[in-house]
Amino acid sequence: MQTEATAAQPDVSELDLVKRCQEGQADAFDELVIRYRTRVFGMIYNMVHNEQDAWDLAQDSFVKAWKSIKRFRGQSSFYTWIYRIVMNVTIDSLRRKQIKGAGAEFDDSIQLKEIDPASKTVPKPDALPYESMQRSEIRAQIDQAISQLTPEHRAVILMKEIEDMQYHEIAEALGCSIGTVMSRLFYARKKLQALLKDVYENI
Amino acid sequence: MKTFEEKWTAWIDGELTGKELVEFEASLSDRAAAEAEKRAAHKLGVLLKAELKADTMANAEFFSHQLRERIDHEDTMPTRRDDRESSWWTIPRLFWSGATALALFLIVAIVATRHQDGGGQSDLTSQILQARVDPVVNPNATITVFEAKEDRVTVLWTEGLQSLPADYAAK
Repeated sequence: MQTEATAAQPDVSELDLVKRCQEGQADAFDELVIRYRTRVFGMIYNMVHNEQDAWDLAQDSFVKAWKSIKRFRGQSSFYTWIYRIVMNVTIDSLRRKQIKGAGAEFDDSIQLKEIDPASKTVPKPDALPYESMQRSEIRAQIDQAISQLTPEHRAVILMKEIEDMQYHEIAEALGCSIGTVMSRLFYARKKLQALLKDVYENI
Repeated sequence: MKTFEEKWTAWIDGELTGKELVEFEASLSDRAAAEAEKRAAHKLGVLLKAELKADTMANAEFFSHQLRERIDHEDTMPTRRDDRESSWWTIPRLFWSGATALALFLIVAIVATRHQDGGGQSDLTSQILQARVDPVVNPNATITVFEAKEDRVTVLWTEGLQSLPADYAAK
């Protein structure tokens, strides 16, 4: 698992950082955030397909992690633990949006209206990583296909294919059984294969 | 017992081994089609990883800065809550205070009721009982009181009474 700070401070173990966090040392938490912020943000972005939301949800996830770090017992890896928080926060958000939007969740025209142009959460003057990126047609097709999956199916396929997580790690992160993970993976793959057949067959 | 979906997923991901793998592959009706689907699933995985993998995050420092500010802000919020929680009126104390107040009220109410009942005794009883304790006037007098509160009747049975107290008529 390659993280942002691994190369810079390979000698500081994650467990030490967690212990320091549990003692209330915010600088240790900063270090953990540096290690995971890109992956967490990327994962959430792939789930919600909206940079503003992804930013806010990533922030919410880390705040929740800080608040509950004292309850982390080290029975799983820290990244599985933080992914559990991330997934809870993100899936809850997607469900709320689905209830509000009744299926119009990823309608681009609606999304643009929902984003407050004066929002101060994400710095606007500089180009943002995903919005500034020239989104290829392939990327757009993938996003469109993923948006047709349920939040749980999105989570499973992304954690498996992007994060290379094991079944039991995904199960821990989602709070479900390994069998459920495998079953969801089966259906998520089937659906994406049907939707993206033209894309992956022509690469 | 794994379902077909679970076995299929494990087979795609190369997680089926040994006897389970042999049995599963033997159970496939169209092995060639299954192999083609397996290759397609791998291609899909490669595509997703290539397109969706997050390598960098612009404004990462700002993200951390904003998070630090939020955490600092959140850390002060529980302190205020703690202040409220540490006030004297905690829930258990409220409960016990209420229970104590109720108990005190009941005691006062019972005492007051009894006092009222006692007050129902006639002045006459009171006078004669007082007279009985005067050994000079009635040294051998015994007085028995029968009282039926529900009927509001009091019977005074006296024995050995030499004379009524001088102030009896005045009452």
